[in-house]
Amino acid sequence: MDPRMCRKISSSESLPDADNVEYEISNITAPQESEDNFLIEGSPEPNSVTWLDDDQIDELDLNLDQTNLFFHRVDSADIIYRSKKKKCKMVGKYVMGDVLGEGSYGKVKEMLDSESLCRRAVKILKKRKLRRIPNGEQNVQREIQLLRILRHKNVIELVDVMYNDEKQKMYLVMEFCVGVLQDMLESSPGKKFPQRQAHDYFTQLLDGLEYLHGQGVVHKDIKPGNLLLTLDQTLKITDFGVAEALDMFSPEDTCYTGQGSPAFQPPEIANGAEQFSGTKVDIWSSGVTLYNMTTGRYPFEGDNVYRLLEAIGRGEPAPPPSSLGPALGALLSHMLKRDPSLRPTVQEIRRHAWVQATPPLESGERMVMPRSRRSDELHSSTVIPYLVERHYASAQEYFTEHDLRHDMGEGGSRTLSTAELSDGESTRQKRRWNSSCGRLPSCRLT
Amino acid sequence: MPLFGKSQKSPAELVRSLKDAVTALERGDKKAEKAQEDVSKNLVLIKNMLYGTSDAEPQTDIIVAQLAQELYNTNLLLLLIQNLNRIDFEGKKDVAQVFNNVLRRQIGTRSPTVEYICTKPEILFTLMSGYEHQEIASNCGTMLRECARYEALAKIMLYSDDFYNFFRYVEVSTFDIASDAFSTFKELLTRHKMLCAEFLEANYDKVFSHYQRLLNSENYVTRRQSLKLLGELLLDRHNFSIMTRYITNPDNLKLMMNMLKEKSRNIQFEAFHVFKVFVANPNKPKPILDILLRNQDKLVDFLTKFHTDRSEDEQFNDEKAYLIKQIKELKPVEH
Repeated sequence: MDPRMCRKISSSESLPDADNVEYEISNITAPQESEDNFLIEGSPEPNSVTWLDDDQIDELDLNLDQTNLFFHRVDSADIIYRSKKKKCKMVGKYVMGDVLGEGSYGKVKEMLDSESLCRRAVKILKKRKLRRIPNGEQNVQREIQLLRILRHKNVIELVDVMYNDEKQKMYLVMEFCVGVLQDMLESSPGKKFPQRQAHDYFTQLLDGLEYLHGQGVVHKDIKPGNLLLTLDQTLKITDFGVAEALDMFSPEDTCYTGQGSPAFQPPEIANGAEQFSGTKVDIWSSGVTLYNMTTGRYPFEGDNVYRLLEAIGRGEPAPPPSSLGPALGALLSHMLKRDPSLRPTVQEIRRHAWVQATPPLESGERMVMPRSRRSDELHSSTVIPYLVERHYASAQEYFTEHDLRHDMGEGGSRTLSTAELSDGESTRQKRRWNSSCGRLPSCRLT
Repeated sequence: MPLFGKSQKSPAELVRSLKDAVTALERGDKKAEKAQEDVSKNLVLIKNMLYGTSDAEPQTDIIVAQLAQELYNTNLLLLLIQNLNRIDFEGKKDVAQVFNNVLRRQIGTRSPTVEYICTKPEILFTLMSGYEHQEIASNCGTMLRECARYEALAKIMLYSDDFYNFFRYVEVSTFDIASDAFSTFKELLTRHKMLCAEFLEANYDKVFSHYQRLLNSENYVTRRQSLKLLGELLLDRHNFSIMTRYITNPDNLKLMMNMLKEKSRNIQFEAFHVFKVFVANPNKPKPILDILLRNQDKLVDFLTKFHTDRSEDEQFNDEKAYLIKQIKELKPVEH
């Protein structure tokens, strides 16, 4: 991708700022909630609802404004914001979608490759923000350099890198993922996974780690927050900001700096060792990750970072709860050995009984699913609405509450609720449904 | 259970009748045609037991365990593989499916079929020799790769004399057999990192003298694939000691330098990734250094013009620039 092209396209359009997009999302979710209220309250007495068309609503608003402001109380859920329309924005050959997540460096958004139609995620890095993070710019450069060489099923793939000098932004285009293990853990009961699920992720983590170490790369920041999942539940190791490439010709795997997240650091780094075995750091962090995924807790805790590092430095992890079973308990203790040389290698972990046998899903346990920002379980593309707007936009300058309801509610739930309405209402409803539906390309074709 | 017709056969009965049918097929007398039919029919029944059908679930664990036990007791798996070429087209595929399913079976941490095959390594050797026969090669390949996923079975195959037949199989003229054999070969050499490293170290001379033949093969695909695999093997840190050994041999360097000049750009490119290791090595032995010094100017010139159209590939360009710099700065060791 030629960076100049990217600059040209993005500067020639007047683009909504990233913040506006955020704003839009919150706008749209609000009416969706109000719809639920409407169904509960409205359905028992359908005839009490009077349907007005847009002009009438406008008139009503005008009248109210002029006459009695005191009684015109609108519930916050009913407010229709005059939202900015979803304006289709391109960066290079990619169409931008909604925000997937946020980090200290900037946002992560969904994108669609307009040539291959592949779903992608883009990490948008702002130079201004990067400078504020210690070693920020260096870490990004290193990450790009490493990701360019790495190619494995369980390592995130860097698809493209684009620069926008004018806006001082950098775009890292990557494989599309639906969730971070960290977020899934936080949303699950007890902040942990069933052993069956943890086992699945852990074995994939081992595959990825074995590959990385084979390529002479030490990740140094393995934790649930850096493990992503794709739609088909493939685990991807991400964030190589503090990773280090080992010297190809040195038989040792000595590393000199540790910059990972405190809770996942091994005792040798907590104690400030000047050099240490790199691969054993990853083994330790993977152990803490497994501990965290299966118990919802951490082997070391402290009121603040210093206490935490002090506890880690002593190297006596909280014994894994006996409810985990002897096999997993033994594996965790082995991976969390204070002496790095006593920790197992990836291959030894693979041969461990707990890894060999797939644990069954206990009764009452449920697999935790990745949650999307918009509580959309199907994780449908957020780029589509922008494309619809771009190619099938109506002349309508604003949306009414009805339109928003129709746009949000998908087929099934819509028909169900119309059936509950009285005849007269439902025909009107249907007409509206059709007309708002006409804006969608698929409906227009029929 | 079907509404009409006879009730379902037990696993023991099924295995027995399949065994009888295969034995009849092996004899190849007048009844061969009938036997062929029986083999196919029974294979489908066994397959359905394991996988289920569109209207039936797979059988319960107990039935499957009985089935597996019967298969071990009667040595039917070996018999099936030995007679694979006599079984009809669909039947061959069913054998592979049944085999792979039974192989994957786990009881807790144990894999009973893997343990069984460890006691009957003929199964593996028969499968490997399947590459000699065009009509069963790909079925055997499917089963072999499933076996290669298990370290214990991969170890038996790697350390067997039959392993060296792969150097012949990957070069056969039938393209699909050669590439199937190559993917099995690659799986065996890369899947279990520690096992592979130990194997390559212990059998370094034998393996690499065979490997040299692949790199010099008449067959373009063989040459290119084996060169690519060589690069992957050497650049994997698990094979550190193999890499250091490989890059001290001047013959290997000469071979790579010749491959850099090959007609095919793909081969040139793969050769570059092996060649760079020789140059980047900070402790180059004298013979290696001598060759590089003798060709210093030529190499700098050659590399400067080498694949200049890969301007998109930053990684490659960085590496190339690094190599050019290294070669320019080479100095003879002082004594």
